[in-house]
Formats: sequence, C-alpha cells, structure tokens
Amino acid sequence: MDFTDILISLIKIVVMFGVVLLTVAELVYTERRISAFIQNRLGPNRVGWKGLLQPYADVLKLLLKEDIVPTAANRFIHTLAPVISIAVAFSTLAVVPIAGETIRLFGREVQMVIADVNIGVLYILALTSMGVYGLTLSGWSSNNKYSLLGGLRSSAQMISYELAMGLSVIGVIMVTGSLRLTDVVAHQSGWMWNMILQPVGFVTFVVAAFAETNRAPFDLPEAEPELVGGYHTEYSSFKFALFFLAEYANMITASAVIVTLYLGGWQVPYLELLNLPVGVTIALQILAFMLKVAFMLFVFQWVRWSVPRFRYDQLMNLGWKVMLPIALANVIVTGIVMLLL
Amino acid sequence: MSSELIVFLILAAVGVLSGILMITRPNPVNSALFLILNFMALAGLYITLHAQFVAIIQILVYAGAIMVLVLFVIMLLNLEDEEPLREQMSKRHYGSLLVALLALVLIVQVIGWNSGGTLETMREQSPHALRIGTVEHIGSVLFTEHVYPFELTSILLLAAIVGAIVMAKKRFP
Amino acid sequence: MIEIIFESIPSFWPEITLSLTFVISMIVEFIVGGKGKKSTGMTTGLIVLLGFTVTILQMPFQDLEPRLLFGTMITLDPFAAFFKYLIVAAGIIVIVFSMQSHEVRRQETVGEFFCFIAAMTFGMFLMAGASNLLMIYLSIELVSLSSYILAGFSKKLKRSGEAALKYVLFGGAASGVMLYGMSLLYGLTGALDIYSIQSTLAAGMVVDVHDWSFVVLMLSIIMILVGFGYKISAVPFHFWTPDVYEGAPVSVTAYLSVASKAAGFAVMVRFFYVAFFDSVLDLGKWGSLPLVDWNMIIALLSVLTMTLGNVVAIWQDNLKRMLAYSSIAHAGYIMMGLVVMSDLGLTAMLAYFVIYFFMNLGAFYIVMSVADRIGSEHIDDYRGLGKRAPVIGVGFSIFLVSLTGLPPLAGFIGKWMLFSAVIEAHYIWLAVIGVLNSAISLYYYARVFRNMYLREPLNGDESPITFSPLVIVITILFIIPNIIFGVYFGPLISYAQRSVELFLQ
Repeated sequence: MDFTDILISLIKIVVMFGVVLLTVAELVYTERRISAFIQNRLGPNRVGWKGLLQPYADVLKLLLKEDIVPTAANRFIHTLAPVISIAVAFSTLAVVPIAGETIRLFGREVQMVIADVNIGVLYILALTSMGVYGLTLSGWSSNNKYSLLGGLRSSAQMISYELAMGLSVIGVIMVTGSLRLTDVVAHQSGWMWNMILQPVGFVTFVVAAFAETNRAPFDLPEAEPELVGGYHTEYSSFKFALFFLAEYANMITASAVIVTLYLGGWQVPYLELLNLPVGVTIALQILAFMLKVAFMLFVFQWVRWSVPRFRYDQLMNLGWKVMLPIALANVIVTGIVMLLL
Repeated sequence: MSSELIVFLILAAVGVLSGILMITRPNPVNSALFLILNFMALAGLYITLHAQFVAIIQILVYAGAIMVLVLFVIMLLNLEDEEPLREQMSKRHYGSLLVALLALVLIVQVIGWNSGGTLETMREQSPHALRIGTVEHIGSVLFTEHVYPFELTSILLLAAIVGAIVMAKKRFP
Repeated sequence: MIEIIFESIPSFWPEITLSLTFVISMIVEFIVGGKGKKSTGMTTGLIVLLGFTVTILQMPFQDLEPRLLFGTMITLDPFAAFFKYLIVAAGIIVIVFSMQSHEVRRQETVGEFFCFIAAMTFGMFLMAGASNLLMIYLSIELVSLSSYILAGFSKKLKRSGEAALKYVLFGGAASGVMLYGMSLLYGLTGALDIYSIQSTLAAGMVVDVHDWSFVVLMLSIIMILVGFGYKISAVPFHFWTPDVYEGAPVSVTAYLSVASKAAGFAVMVRFFYVAFFDSVLDLGKWGSLPLVDWNMIIALLSVLTMTLGNVVAIWQDNLKRMLAYSSIAHAGYIMMGLVVMSDLGLTAMLAYFVIYFFMNLGAFYIVMSVADRIGSEHIDDYRGLGKRAPVIGVGFSIFLVSLTGLPPLAGFIGKWMLFSAVIEAHYIWLAVIGVLNSAISLYYYARVFRNMYLREPLNGDESPITFSPLVIVITILFIIPNIIFGVYFGPLISYAQRSVELFLQ
C-alpha cells in the first residue's frame, strides 16, 4: 500500500466523480425531456443545443438564491443532512466494477473498480442503511412539522424496503457463491445474466430500489400535493441543489447496482470470442456498462411519469406483507433448486 | 510509520474524539450522531484486524438500524437538551469513578499482555488467522458448531417481536 | 460436525416439543384469536397445556446418562432433568391457575399470555441444561424477555406497566454486566464451554495469581455473579423483585418465584460447580480460585439476602409484596446450600426446591383466588377470612406455617436439610443466622394468620365466601404434599441425592 497505489485510487475516484457529476447534471435534463415527450409536449430546448445546457442554468439559478435557514433549526445538522445523502450515493459506487480486464498503469495491473472488497454486496447494503440518515436528519432539523412528518415517512419507507432488497440479493449471492462484486459480474458470462437466473429477485430488487431512492411510484414523502415539500421544504439554494442532485445520484447508484447484480455488469455476450486487444475490450465493456445503466435510468424515469403514486399505507403494506414474503420465498426456492441441480 | 499505523491512529483518534464528544453534547441528536461516527471508526478498526464481516455488520445493524431507531425515539419524544455535563458531574462522580477504574483495569490487562507484540508481528499470522473474519468462515462455523444457539436466537427474536407488539398494540373497538 | 448435531436430536425431544408448542400456539393464536372473542384465549391455553403434558410424559423415557449435546452446548444429566420436571410441572400448574384468574382473562389479548409461558418454559429448560457461556446467556435472555412481557401483561393497570419497565431496565443492565463478564472470561481462557474453562484454569497456565490476569478473572466472576444474582433475586440485585411481583398478574408472579428462581439456581450451580471447582479438594472448596474465600462471599450474600427479605417483609401490607420479600428470603436460604457445594448441600437445595414449589404455588393460588373473589390483596381485607371461607383459611395457614419452617410441615424438613448441610461444613454461624431469620419470618406470616382468625372483618360483613369447587380441590391438592413431605420425606431425599450423585463433572 504505497504512494503509487494511493495515486491510482485517487485517479479512479476523480474520474468516477467527474463522470457521475456530469451524468447527474444531464439526468435533470433527460428527466424533463422524457416527461415532456410522455406528456406530449416538448420540454426545455432553448439553452444550448436542444436544451442540453439546461441543468447548468438550473443549478446556477439555485446557487444564486438566498440561503434561508429557519431560526430555530439546528444549523449543523441542517447542513449535514444533504451532505450525508450525496456522500452515501457516491460512496456506493466505489465497489461497482465497470470493466473486466485490467490495464497496466505506472507498472501495475489496475483493476477497473475503485475498491475490490470481498464483502462488496454487504457494503452496498450497509451504505443504503446509512442513507436513511440524510432524510431523517433533514426532516428533523428543519423544525417544521411537515418536514418532520415527511422525513419520518421516507425513512420508514426506506427501512422497510431495505429488508426486501437485502433478501433478494441473497438469491444472487447463492447463485454466485461470493460476495465480491467482481465475482458476481464475472459469473454472469454469456447470456446467463442473473436477471434470467433470478427473475423474482430481479423484480423485487428493482421495486425495492425504486422505494429506496424515493422515486415514483413511491415518492409520497416528497410529493408536493401531499406534504408541501416533505423533508426538503425548508431547504433553499445550494442545499436544495444538493438534495436534488443527491436524488439523481442515488438513482445512478441504484441503476449501477442493478446492472451489476442482475444485468451482467460490463459483460458483453461472447465478446471474448472476438479476441480483440485489451484496450478495445475494455472500451467495449465500459460502453456496454454505460448503455445498460442508461437504460435503467430511462426505466426509472419512464416509470415515474407513467404510474400513479402509492398511498403511504399501501406502500408499507406492499413492503412488509408482499415483498418480504416473496423475497423469502425466492431464497427458499433458489436453495431448493440449487440443491436438486 | 507504516500506512497501517497511520490508518490505525486516524481511526483511533476519530473513535476516541467522537466518544468524548458524544457524552459531552447536551443536545441528544448531536450525541446520537457522534455515536454513529464512533461506530464507523470502530468498523474501520475491525477491518484493520481482518474481521470484515463484523465490521460491515457493525455498520449495517448498529449504525444503520439501531441508531435509526434511537434517533426516531429521540425525535418522536422530542427530548429536550440535557444540562451540560459540567453541572451533571457533581452528582455522578462516584459512579463515573468506578467505571473509569474498571476500564483502567481492562486496559492495563490488555497492554500488559501485548507488551511483546507490535503491529508488524500481529500481521505475520497464519493464513488461517487471516481467514477467520471472512464471511465464508463465519458462515461455516455458525451453521456447524454454533447452529443450536443460532436457531435459538431466532426463537428469542420471535418472542421479542411478538412481545413488543403485544405490549404496544391497542385493540380498536 | 453435522453428525454430532443429528446424534443429539433424539435426546432432545422435550425441548423440541416445547419449541413446537411455542410456535404452534403462536400460529393458532394468530388464526383463531382477535376480533374481541375472549374465549379463544382458552384454545391457545389448552394447546400449551397439551404441549407441556406431552413434554412431561416424554421425559421419563430419556436416557439420563450424563452427556453433552450439540457439541458442548447442553448437558443432559439427572441434575438437569430434576429441574426440568420442576419447571414443566410449575408450567402446567400456572396455566391452570391462569385459566381461572380474572386478572388474566380480563385482558384483550389473552392467547399470547400462554404463548409466552411456553417460551419462558422452553428458555428455562435450556437454562437447566446449559453448559456453554453462549447458551447460558441466550437462555437467560429468552426467559427474561418472556418475563418482561408477562409482567406487563395487565396493560390497564399502572402498576403492571411500572413492573414491566423496572424489570426491563434492571434485567437489561444485569444481562449487560453478565455478558461483559463472560467476554472477559472468554478472553482469559479462550473457551466458551464451562468444561474447557475448568481444564484451562486447572492447568494453571493462563491465570497467574500474582498478575493482573487474576484481577481480571475475579472481576469477570463478580460480573457473571451479578447476572445470576439478578435472576435469583439475591440481595444487591433484588431491587426489581418487589415491584415486579406486585405488579404482574398473580399467576406470573407464582411462576417467576418458583420456576425462574429454580432455573436460575440450576444454571448458577452448574456454572460455578463445573467451571471453578476442584473436585480433588473435599467439602467443596473452590479449588481453582485461590486467594479469595469465595465461600465467604456467597455466605455473605446469603446472609444479606435472608435478612433483608425477612426484615423488610415485616412492614408489607400487600400480600403479593410480602410474598415477594419472603421469596427473596427463601432464595437466601437456598444460597446457603450453594455456600457448601458438597453433595449434602446440593441435595438439600434440590429437596428444598420441591418443597418450596408446593408451598409457594399454594400460597399464591390462595392469594389469586381471594383477590378474584373480594378484589383485594391487602392484608386488612383478609380479616375474618378464616370464618368466612374455612377451607381457604386452613389451606393458607398450612402454607404459611410451611413457609416459616415449623414442624411437622414440609418447610421444616427443607430448612432442616439446609441447616444440617451448612453445619456439617462447619459454618455454624450461618445456620444460626438462618434460624434467627426463620424466627423473624414467623412474625409476618403469623400476621396474616392473626388477621384471618382473630380479627373481625372491617366492614362487618360476615357472610361466607363461596369458592368454586375447583379452587377447593386445587387447594387441597397443594395441602397434601406439604403435610406428607413433613413426615414422609425419604423418597424425596433419595431422589434428590440420586440427581446430584450423577452430576457430570
């Protein structure tokens, strides 16, 4: 663990940061465009070519606004909460592999993942648990009953769906036999992506991911007609921008995790048969990964504008009484099938 | 000054500082947040000891679930700020002295035993020792040697969950 | 490893039955219970009763050759079996009590009461056999958890909620301290099961008397003693007992005072006997722990417990609270048997438990029936009870005299055995204090006596109170052993002796 290793890790982190931040910015744009097309209108198309610079205009506007903090709010926690949200979203991406081969950099073999920990899946679940704090603390620190209610509701929702998420991942772990994410992706060679091996788990995980990121149809805690702004009512200017960005960053993270666990990660079916040079292989794998993530992001946004919102009790009912038993049954059936085969 | 030593010192400093800050803050939510920071530092220390499973479970369960529960309770009960520690200490110095004494005994015992080892010697362990903290090993031990307490814990948890609901539930007429 | 597990299962049928009872009763309660139907609690109760009966019928067929099950987790030997019979018999009787008790039947969720009794019994079975630190802790937690909920079961009464809260806080703290002691012990010896701990300590290589490690060993034993002391309500750890016994429903109090204490003593005796005794030295000196006279420490705790229990009981007006302090005092008497861990001491303890079972359950049953009929547990409301309800009066008097320890009733035999064990080990001062305490206890037992027979009822109502025939029959069923064991106690003693002789080393 010497200076070169640290330098390489730093480079990887900076690259990932840059890419994700740019994507987050563009997600704001795509959300508005996709929702516009679904609703048979045009959406923003003035700023930049076809409106691509719109997000920068939005963020600039937000940054230039006045930063209002309620008098009786706990300032330290008020500022800390969006930081927690966005930090968790970015940290989870540290274990996601984006390509399968290793490059030679500074005389070392460098893996295309920031941290190849042997408990990668558990790491993701642990960080998801930590993400709850961003919402809870923001709701409480605003000293506003709507914020508190919104914050508590969304935390309760996130906690409930964490269980279903964790249990559905167990199916993937059983099939792969390892918790390391690079192993999970390497295992899904050819056409046998985990989506096909674990269909029920896939559906459960995607639904749970929707609930974890507070995206429709589970976005009751932040829906305007329901609770004013929910947990981000009292936030303005940069902190609101942070929450905004944190939600999209969470979406990217969730898509990346879904792609890694179920959609084959960077796997391109039968690419190894072509025997291309390493650089081209890596480029193709990265491209495949990004296309898959982009597809999942599109699915996230598509669902938001197509499906009505769940009521809160329906949401909790679904999480505890439907998803949890289904995920458990998935584990049992997977175990039985693995035993028999 | 190996990198492990630096990492250990940082984690230890964060752990101790957050612990001290946790008990001195009058605001209960600030205290809870420092406790969470303490747990994270502890998880980092577990990782330096090659106990990866314990580390991640510490974050998942302790920092991620139990402390959320504690925060919920603090928020819902709207607990007020406590009086600052300085004013409380005059009433509690005997108890604190006793606990500090116990902690001192424990620390002296541990240091006394490990006086022969350093961070480097601790690293040169058998491959088996390095594998003990992995999920695979814990899983195999949990389901063979300790399967009975494991299953018993599930009954314990069932009794606890049902009991909590029995205690809290109101039958609506 | 798996083979060891599969081999252990056939020896394990009673516990399997109990865990199945717990789960099935929970499921039945879930399906059948609720929606305001009060009688469905009885269905669950009958299922649990059936489960207990099956368990007690399975137990004579077990092969009681002392051996370890599941690796080193559980020991199966006559000592454990003795306590298991006691516990499941107490369980059956408590369920019968609860089915008649108005206090229980009044609640909204009656069925779960019986589920938790099943869980508690299961936990106590495991406590009686536990021989691994992990199992000891888990079984104590299972029993404690179920007791917390049972103690707070009469939700509408404030004192019930107070009882549960105090129990939870105290029990949680005691369990925490005990766990810390266990972790220190594990750190010192590197072994979790008590047999390995004994061999490690006896080999003398880990703990050097002139070293810090000895201090840590002492500390860990004291901390584990805290946990056990809490379970048996020994004196510095007894603060939860009066409030919990007063606030909980009477059948729960009865169960706690008999079975929970028995299980706590079982695990305590097994732990200290196996882990720390040197079987080479005679008359039960704590061989593996030199330098500190542990016998003295336990004797001191015993004296404190007896004295505090008896002295504070003098002022009590609420019968449940008085009986709570009296059971603390009885724990003190039983601890005398722990001071001398000789065969005679342990035999005396076991015999005393059987006798205590009949005395205490009978006394609590009377308190419960009277409370159901006249609605009070206050000692002043017991005035004139002797004339108004003759059988109950006589029964209660017999129980109280037996609790005091006067001949010719069974209580005397129990105390006599304990005192003779103590005297044989040359702790004469302890026996003298025990006798003095029995004399003190006579005062508060006799107060009830006096109120029942020599005082007029406060409101002048001298009409006879009728109790249902079932109550009368059960009271007589409890009176009979008290009288019989007072004169014909041979079989009891020999059974207890056999249970101790085959105790696994």
